Amino acid sequence: MSTQDKVTINKLPTGVPGLDEIVGGGLPEFSFNIIAGAPGSGKTTLAHQIVFANASPEHPALYFTVLGESAIKMLRYQQQYTFFDPAKLPGSIHFINLSQIVLEKDLGAVLEEITKEVEKANPAVVVVDSFRTMVRKPKSDMDLQSFILRLALFLASWQATTFLIGEYAEEELRDNPIFTVADGLFWLRQTTERNSIVRKLQIVKLRGQDSVPGLHTFRITDAGVQAFSRTFGLTARKRNPPGDRRLSFGIPELDKMLDGGVREGDSVLVAGSSGTGKSVLATQFIAEGIRQGEPGIVAVFEERPEAYAERATTLGLDLETPQKDGKLTILYLRPLDLSVDETMQSILDAVQKIGAKRLVIDSLAGFEMALSPGFRADFRESLYRMIFALTGIGVTILSTVEVDESFTEFPFSTYSISFLCDDILRLRYVSIDGQLRKIMVVIKMRGGNHAKDIREYEITSKGVVILGKRLTEYQGLISGVPVHSEGSATRKEPSQ
Amino acid sequence: MTTPPVMRDLARCLLTCEAVASKNSEPVEFVTLRVYEKLRQSLVVFAGVDGFQALAFRALSQAKSEAPGLWAVHMAADGALQGLGEFRPQPVEFEPQPSSDMDKASEEGVILIARLLGLLIIFLGEALTFGLLRNAWPGVTFDDRNSQNGRAS
Repeated sequence: MSTQDKVTINKLPTGVPGLDEIVGGGLPEFSFNIIAGAPGSGKTTLAHQIVFANASPEHPALYFTVLGESAIKMLRYQQQYTFFDPAKLPGSIHFINLSQIVLEKDLGAVLEEITKEVEKANPAVVVVDSFRTMVRKPKSDMDLQSFILRLALFLASWQATTFLIGEYAEEELRDNPIFTVADGLFWLRQTTERNSIVRKLQIVKLRGQDSVPGLHTFRITDAGVQAFSRTFGLTARKRNPPGDRRLSFGIPELDKMLDGGVREGDSVLVAGSSGTGKSVLATQFIAEGIRQGEPGIVAVFEERPEAYAERATTLGLDLETPQKDGKLTILYLRPLDLSVDETMQSILDAVQKIGAKRLVIDSLAGFEMALSPGFRADFRESLYRMIFALTGIGVTILSTVEVDESFTEFPFSTYSISFLCDDILRLRYVSIDGQLRKIMVVIKMRGGNHAKDIREYEITSKGVVILGKRLTEYQGLISGVPVHSEGSATRKEPSQ
Repeated sequence: MTTPPVMRDLARCLLTCEAVASKNSEPVEFVTLRVYEKLRQSLVVFAGVDGFQALAFRALSQAKSEAPGLWAVHMAADGALQGLGEFRPQPVEFEPQPSSDMDKASEEGVILIARLLGLLIIFLGEALTFGLLRNAWPGVTFDDRNSQNGRAS
């Protein structure tokens, strides 16, 4: 069958940020869907959001409430969300209570009532909340199956996109006729992981279109449900392959070590122990980008944006003005219960908003700590997805990572993520002549001819300053306890 | 605890609308009942009979404490009012009702309807309540006012 012979399935907006992407562009029009999950998982809020996004006087929505939450209380709470537009009631959205019929009559009478109301209103969207309470005690399985089939057929033929809301346990997925009849099955979960609550959404089934598989985190805020796709919403975004441009740190000696600078679209890891100047380097990297007209984003987890900007001023770097000018965003991501996908969404939104070219993540340890415990186990995999997604749209990422200083080893990262990074810059302390001095070395640079030199540096009021030439007079510098090449214990100043 | 003036004004507005709409002279209790019935019909659709009944029962209870003349009024299981004006002398056709009785009955009706409207505003908020009223009285222009959304009244 050629493409033009195929029926076109229109897609309705979900009204939920991030969810259109997950369901493959929108909700299939005239589909018969189930929104399932435990109490408190966000089913009603999701349904309301869909209804408010789609209902209009020409295409009204019918919202049938059955037993369970009182409709008055439901409206009282739901109107707290910003998506709730009271002007749509009752003209565009009709709430109809079926409790009495459900209590006093059988499923046939319920179907009759729904039919009557649908014929009267000719709705584009129909919600039954909660469907589960309606069919809890059918006379027989056949009764229920017949009811569901007739309801699905009737609503589809009346060109209504339908959502049945139900409290279902996952074990019920098998052998339940409703899941067979449904075109779409949206499963909402809420789990407690240590002291954090994590909400996840799965499109178990969606006929006719390509939804994003897997569990997607979502959050409920004043604005309602916001979903975070595992693909970070990038399937709808144009990929922007990086070019061959080199990005400067604003530190000429370091740029030379990097064969002219960091290649655009690379992921750079700056590893070192506490106080070695990782954040200073990161700040210089972002400030130099802004100086060259490349907007940037700094994602901080361990300190507030104001403190971060204030610290930059001590290095003679102004991060306040570019923030006001819309060329820099310092994201402070609320700690302790984040998902990587949420963090990513914030970063991607900021990237899109200011057209960022450089991103600093300071630091990976802080990022990990900000995540809900359940996500920490998947941190490495999440980093992979995040780095792949961001560099794919041409953003150059510099991440800092703290490593334990060891005088017997030379680790790059505690996360075993060095394979995810194109370039690795290692900072460390060395003990020379009774002083704790600092050295840096480019460990790796994918596709670049980087310097092999080990260079000494200092942190001054101008930031990181690389001293002299490579340290040729010491052996075992990376061990942290070098010896003079001639075996002398006396200190020799690095050549200037 | 008395009914807030804003709610009384709104209740009076509804009662006046119904009285004007009626071509026949009728006891004020009938007008009150018609306003109440319109509210009941609108609310039962989305709140269900039980939902409406619970709310109306509370409103009646509040109204009785403020207007003891409503003591004989009670509520059926479907939320319908019974006994309104039962113990007051019924007007004879074309014979004017004694003004003091009429005023009293009118005031009781105002209190009852105002209490119900007050609860609606507390639970649903002004926007939804006025939306509901506009739907039940399509030709009437309501002056949305800043009423209290809290319990205190």
